[in-house]
Amino acid sequence: MEQAPPDPERQLKPAPLEPLGGPGAVLEAAAGEETEGTREDSSGVDTMTGNDFWLKKIEISVSEAEKRTGRNAVNMQETYTAYLIETRSVEHADGQSVLTDSLWRRYSEFELLRNYLLVYYPHVVVPPLPEKRAEFVWHKLSADNMDPDFVERRRIGLENFLLRVASHPVLCRDKIFYLFLTQEGNWKETVNETGFQLKADSRLKALNATFRVKNPDKRFTELKHYSDELQSVISHLLRVRARVADRLYGVYKVHGNYGRVFSEWSAIEKEMGDGLQSAGHHMDVYASSIDDILEDEEHYADQLKEYLFYAEALRAVCRKHELMQYDLETAAQDLASKKQQCEELATGTVRTFSLKGMTTKLFGQETPEQREARIKVLEEQINEGEQQLKSKNLEGREFVKNAWADIERFKEQKNRDLKEALISYAIMQISMCKKGIQVWTNAKECFSKM
Amino acid sequence: MAGGPPKALPSTGPHSLRDMPHPLAGSSSEEAMGGDSTPSPDLLMARSFGDKDLILPNGGTPAGTSSPASPSSLLNRLQLDDDIDGETRDLFVTVDDPKKHVCTMETYITYRITTKSTRVEFDLPEYSVRRRYQDFDWLRNKLEESQPTHLIPPLPEKFVVKGVVDRFSEEFVETRRKALDKFLKRITDHPVLSFNEHFNVFLTAKDLNAYKKQGIALLTRVGESVKHVTGGYKLRSRPLEFAAIGDYLDTFALKLGTIDRIAQRIIKEEIEYLVELREYGPVYSTWSALEGELAEPLEGVSACIGNCSTALEELTDDITEEFLPVLREYILYSDSMKSVLKKRDQVQAEYEAKLEAVALRKEERPKVPADVEKCQDRMECFNADLKADMERWQNNKRHDFRQLLVGLADKNIQYYEKCLMAWESIIPLLQEKQETK
Repeated sequence: MEQAPPDPERQLKPAPLEPLGGPGAVLEAAAGEETEGTREDSSGVDTMTGNDFWLKKIEISVSEAEKRTGRNAVNMQETYTAYLIETRSVEHADGQSVLTDSLWRRYSEFELLRNYLLVYYPHVVVPPLPEKRAEFVWHKLSADNMDPDFVERRRIGLENFLLRVASHPVLCRDKIFYLFLTQEGNWKETVNETGFQLKADSRLKALNATFRVKNPDKRFTELKHYSDELQSVISHLLRVRARVADRLYGVYKVHGNYGRVFSEWSAIEKEMGDGLQSAGHHMDVYASSIDDILEDEEHYADQLKEYLFYAEALRAVCRKHELMQYDLETAAQDLASKKQQCEELATGTVRTFSLKGMTTKLFGQETPEQREARIKVLEEQINEGEQQLKSKNLEGREFVKNAWADIERFKEQKNRDLKEALISYAIMQISMCKKGIQVWTNAKECFSKM
Repeated sequence: MAGGPPKALPSTGPHSLRDMPHPLAGSSSEEAMGGDSTPSPDLLMARSFGDKDLILPNGGTPAGTSSPASPSSLLNRLQLDDDIDGETRDLFVTVDDPKKHVCTMETYITYRITTKSTRVEFDLPEYSVRRRYQDFDWLRNKLEESQPTHLIPPLPEKFVVKGVVDRFSEEFVETRRKALDKFLKRITDHPVLSFNEHFNVFLTAKDLNAYKKQGIALLTRVGESVKHVTGGYKLRSRPLEFAAIGDYLDTFALKLGTIDRIAQRIIKEEIEYLVELREYGPVYSTWSALEGELAEPLEGVSACIGNCSTALEELTDDITEEFLPVLREYILYSDSMKSVLKKRDQVQAEYEAKLEAVALRKEERPKVPADVEKCQDRMECFNADLKADMERWQNNKRHDFRQLLVGLADKNIQYYEKCLMAWESIIPLLQEKQETK
């Protein structure tokens, strides 16, 4: 099995890059399940025939983050963080990995990549990026983008993003994505040359379509509703969780005061002194244990946030459908009106309002030749229109089919991931309870020796 | 009989000694049990305590019958209170059965005091009377008056500082009952105080008010004499050992005060945490309604958080009702002890002043005048009593605080055990593979 040469078009022939390692076992499992077996490429745009599978597997990691200074677009000095992306190919047999590519990217380049993917794969629920600015922070967490903890969590989030893309059966084959991982210089220009920004649907158009579309696929309407609700409920959850974390922090930290006062008290006691002193030490341990506990919980919050942002991606697919459907409806309407016009001209009845009709009334009847000419033009337009409608219909149906397939894939992924997240959250809570029991049991022992 | 509807008055009217049957006069107690209406005293046989329904506005459960399911709490209930001295006791006093009395002028609570004793000072082997806080307050004052050289245990606070607390709430009454019970038990355990006449009357008299009005001064010799010590004498310096006690009590009260504030702060933080948890849990429920496969897991998490919230509420209630009152009791204790120390200083000051006066008179009498001798006597008695009481107090304090802090640790352990159980029980639910869909 050889590796096919890079396709001049944006799609590549080689098999999807199988990610290994990464932030969670979840992705490995997801990737494994998706790439094993014969997954039909459902993009419909470029049919994949004769997939060449690489024997080697690919490892992607965002391994480092570095502060840089440079000049921005308006030639002002700015500080930003750059992330090192390393790609390794892993030999099947011995599991050894060889570094094949390594380059630095900043967050804005990730954004560019994602925007490109959104335009060219509108039927795909495109994985989201980690948040641009820290939100849902509880007081101890910094909201500063330069804060090392934030940078670290962002690094993990970016890696997660790349792994999600790499494990997506359609997205992984994209050339721009491939270049993102392999071509450091000039990549931005290459992306922009695709002219994807021009192809993007305007927000206004999308909004217009949302209000005016008459017959959208019910499933998409429901899905949009679901994604709105999901976004709302996860936001709420994250907000309250942050407050809960804040309060819990307070409870634990105040216990540290016990440590101090027990120590002071033990100084005036004879037999009780030792017991008090050592119990006080345990109170200090208790108070300081909260830092690690809450740090772990941030990981859970990040998992929730990913799906908060995924809701937006879901909505984008729904909007695209509405747009296409509206487009189709408009074209059909247009065609119908032209047909009617034509009919009226042919039969001489005027039911529809037309400029020509008006001018005819004002300036006199037209000649039969003029009428014939007009009919001919209209018939041509009608023909064209019918062709267009046919292709739009096809397009629309293809879109619905492909989008829905990806949505089903997404649903499974979401259920899996969130279940895992809840399990790990429960495990965190269990660990916290056990630590609490341990500390207080130790303290109790000290007290009983007083 | 006690156990029926609340009576208007705690006592059943004054009885003369002649009306009271002789303890050996047959089955009078059984007759009394039978609920006859003869004017015989209200004697009660040994009854099971703690299982009676309290007639309280909220109808609560009697003390000590809570049933947390966690292992450590079960263990604790099996542990018996250790007998401090291990000596055979001949006097047992219990405070229980609070009842609300509604009269035209006021509403108040009475408690049943049950006494069992083989001491000769008690005419009968058992007594049961009802007393209110006022009566306890009276008793304490009388003890302070009549036994000024001894440390008198504190009463729970008389007035409720925070206007928010309901004087008749189950929690408040129970907290107070426990404190009053502790108060009487401490007196019972004291080798001198337990034989005090006022104490005896408190435990046994049918009509305490009548006795109070009589104002019979049954003062001991020391008490009488100490009463007459005016505040005119100033002590030059406290002997080292009493100075040390004074310093200790100062620091002790200070540290307890700090612990009280910390505990209150913790409760405040825990309550705020609870408020957030109560909002947090239901959001998972809301989410669950949107989902298909995830519905059950999310609902499970919601229920779990709810359980943890309840456990937390129980913890904060426990600390408020059981931990804080004891702390405050000891702060009051050390305050009253400091004033006893001052009284001792007075006695010593009087002695030293009189001694000095004698020396200045430059009389060549080798023998010391009688009144100076008396002062010396008084002082030495006082010192001895106080030293003995301090030692006893230190022992009790150690025992009490050990119990208190072990109890605090236990409550926290129970809280975490409840939460642990909740979270562990949903793991299988979360891991369950959904067959449908």
